[in-house]
Amino acid sequence: MTILEELERIVGRENVSGDPAITAAYSRDQHWTFVPPKNPAYVARPGTKEEIRDVLMLANRENAPVIPWSTGINIRGMTIPVADGTIMLDVSRLDRIVEVNHGMMTATIQPGVTFGMLVEETKKHGLRPAFPDAPLTVSAVTNNYLRGIYQTAPRDGLDHILSFEIILPNGETLQTGSRLLKRDLPYFRYGPGPEIASLFIAGPGTWGVVTELTLKLYRIFEHQKVYYVGFDDLEKPMGLLDRVNREELVSGCRFVDTIHWLPPYLGTFDYEYETLPEFVVVLVVENQDRIFQAQDHIVQTYIAESGGKILDLPQDLVDNLKCEMLGAETSPMIFGFKGNFYCVGYYGPLNLLPQYYRDFKENALEIGFEAEDISFYANTIARFHGQSTYYELEIYFDSSDKRSVEMLRTLHARTVANLLETGIYGWFRPYAGVIEPTLDRIGNFADYWKKLQNFIDPNGIMNPGKLF
Amino acid sequence: MEKMLEDVVLRAISHCFKCKLCAIADFHGSDEKWLALCPSGSYYGFNSFYSPGRFEVFREVLSGEIDCGTEMLVKVAFGCQLCGACYERCKEVSKVELDNAELFEELRSVLAERGWLLDAHVRIREDVERTGNAYGASEKLEYPSSGDEVIYFVGCTARYREREISEAMVRVLNASGARFTVLGDEWCCGSPLLRTGQRDVASRLIAHNVEEIRGIGAEKMVFTCPGCLKTFKESYSDLGVELLHASEYINSLVSEGRLQPGKLKIALPYHDPCHLGRHLGIYDAPRETLELIGVEVVELSRNRGNAWCCGSGGGVKSGFPEFATWTADERVGEIRETGSDIVVSACPFCKRNLEDSGVKVFDLAELVSQTL
Repeated sequence: MTILEELERIVGRENVSGDPAITAAYSRDQHWTFVPPKNPAYVARPGTKEEIRDVLMLANRENAPVIPWSTGINIRGMTIPVADGTIMLDVSRLDRIVEVNHGMMTATIQPGVTFGMLVEETKKHGLRPAFPDAPLTVSAVTNNYLRGIYQTAPRDGLDHILSFEIILPNGETLQTGSRLLKRDLPYFRYGPGPEIASLFIAGPGTWGVVTELTLKLYRIFEHQKVYYVGFDDLEKPMGLLDRVNREELVSGCRFVDTIHWLPPYLGTFDYEYETLPEFVVVLVVENQDRIFQAQDHIVQTYIAESGGKILDLPQDLVDNLKCEMLGAETSPMIFGFKGNFYCVGYYGPLNLLPQYYRDFKENALEIGFEAEDISFYANTIARFHGQSTYYELEIYFDSSDKRSVEMLRTLHARTVANLLETGIYGWFRPYAGVIEPTLDRIGNFADYWKKLQNFIDPNGIMNPGKLF
Repeated sequence: MEKMLEDVVLRAISHCFKCKLCAIADFHGSDEKWLALCPSGSYYGFNSFYSPGRFEVFREVLSGEIDCGTEMLVKVAFGCQLCGACYERCKEVSKVELDNAELFEELRSVLAERGWLLDAHVRIREDVERTGNAYGASEKLEYPSSGDEVIYFVGCTARYREREISEAMVRVLNASGARFTVLGDEWCCGSPLLRTGQRDVASRLIAHNVEEIRGIGAEKMVFTCPGCLKTFKESYSDLGVELLHASEYINSLVSEGRLQPGKLKIALPYHDPCHLGRHLGIYDAPRETLELIGVEVVELSRNRGNAWCCGSGGGVKSGFPEFATWTADERVGEIRETGSDIVVSACPFCKRNLEDSGVKVFDLAELVSQTL
């Protein structure tokens, strides 16, 4: 039997194809300016965990590369094949919300579940997932598993994974955390034995296929206020940012380069953006009743002391910003601003914000980008230990213009090198263009990483070429 | 109808960010409900059947990496109603400038030039060439004529399949006293051929109809078929004639006092036809017509720009009947959620396909004629 015939036997003829009219659709994603297109040899769409297991066992037997693919969105080239003969394992049919547990404040989901689906369901329980700053069409499993919840609000913490189930390249199923002792108690991260589950997290489909994930959910508060505070100086908002985070006063906190960040994101609204201050800090205060009032009072005081000016933005703009900050995003107008957008996302301390911003802007201008093409934002995250902050350095560019693409590649290489030199905590994901220079710098850690990878996947079938 | 330049197509494709927001209805506008919007992707599942994936297929067709007109390629290219929901969402969220349906028509045209077509669509072309209508009907159906103030362009479906629509429209026109005529030799507007990539034959139909229309010298043309109206607006040269959908014309007749419809005093769901709504931006006029005749519109979960297609368009009814039925079944389920087995629409294709899935569909013109 050929591989195609075997795949047809496992997932059914209607769920597999080797026709280029099917495989072409998996050849490129939004990161195509950095990752050249390549068709997989086959696309298989399993409908059950057993079918996933059987495909992996087949691939392992045949030494065929396998790339797990959930929704294919926002994964920055990580599912674009490198090797010939690749099986694209499109698991989007596994789209069941297994459980939303109000009491436990958790959701257990399959990989085809999108954030939109999860938001709709959890809202019925007065709960919400941690939101990614990504289209609501992304897979909630993938975005958590790849440590991509980069929109994490300070209130929510950083890591939302409690436990998961993963099918390994040899077809074995591995449970993590409290699932180990009782499958229907998947609510605790730290089960018996060493916490090896974390080793798996952030692997771009390189250690197996996650088939079920249990996530933390968070409360939706009735009382909520959002402040947009304008500053004309880059250093000035730093005190306010530090203070409201250190004192755990805000649920959401974002610093943006206003002139360049707002119009592309919210540009459908008729507004004189140039009248706004150059930088804006967006603060979200939410809590229950009197605690909210007390918290809000303190935040207002701190804003007044910061020298910033509370902006009175039009309601439609505010609503859209709230979707950006606090909910499942549906407004990626950045794409239409110049035709495409690039960003490098990473974690670093808040106190380096001015330097990150100045370096990036300087480089981008030097390479030939216009000031209006350059954008920047920072979100503080996770209880603020280590001043943990998520950063995005962004460029709006026309991806159909070869010169712009070349300029971007130059900027990217320079930015990554600069950031590694300045100091960051880590990249938001191990994607093309950042992982290569990073592996060079992490010494024997990379060697151990590779050894572990070889232990789990001795035949090297899982998404080869994306890490090693 | 003109061929797009290859670099224009590639530029558009390169601007697709693969966010797939084109596949779901406006989330926040729908009270944060996850509502699918792309029939093709929802039915077939593979990424090629969603806009971002189909763009990549188009890219590989242009680059020559796809060099064989397989059954799957034809299904990917033609298994889509061209309902325009993807572009409606895309332009809302991203401001990307090219019409997805237009690009997919271009893909079909490229495939048609290579002879990679569905037999069912070739048969439509042959029928049109032989008889001047898309159903290959040989009988000549006559319509009354009372003058040359307005031309009623009947269209193939309201003439040969859903005749009650055209009969109702004629009753409405007669009741209003409008001096109207129907083309003596009306040919297919060209829409079924343009939608299936067969542009060369469409050009001949257009030339014929233009000649017929110019000979009359009417000020207005009215259409009960939004597909015909779209084709006239987008693919015909300027005829110096005002082109109106029946709802728009009926509303003007009422406001001028030429038509005095009665009140039905009922509540019914309204299904937005894709060609009328998303493609031509006409959402309010049919709702106003319904209000004029005492019909309270019950909005479906997916309405206006977020409407789920009836399943019939883009050559799907003829090319992929099971897919057309599945799409209609989805919509019928939504209609029944309102507690109604009856729906109003404003397009003969929608009427036909939704009725095939078990609900009673009234065209606007039929309801208006009932009140006279």
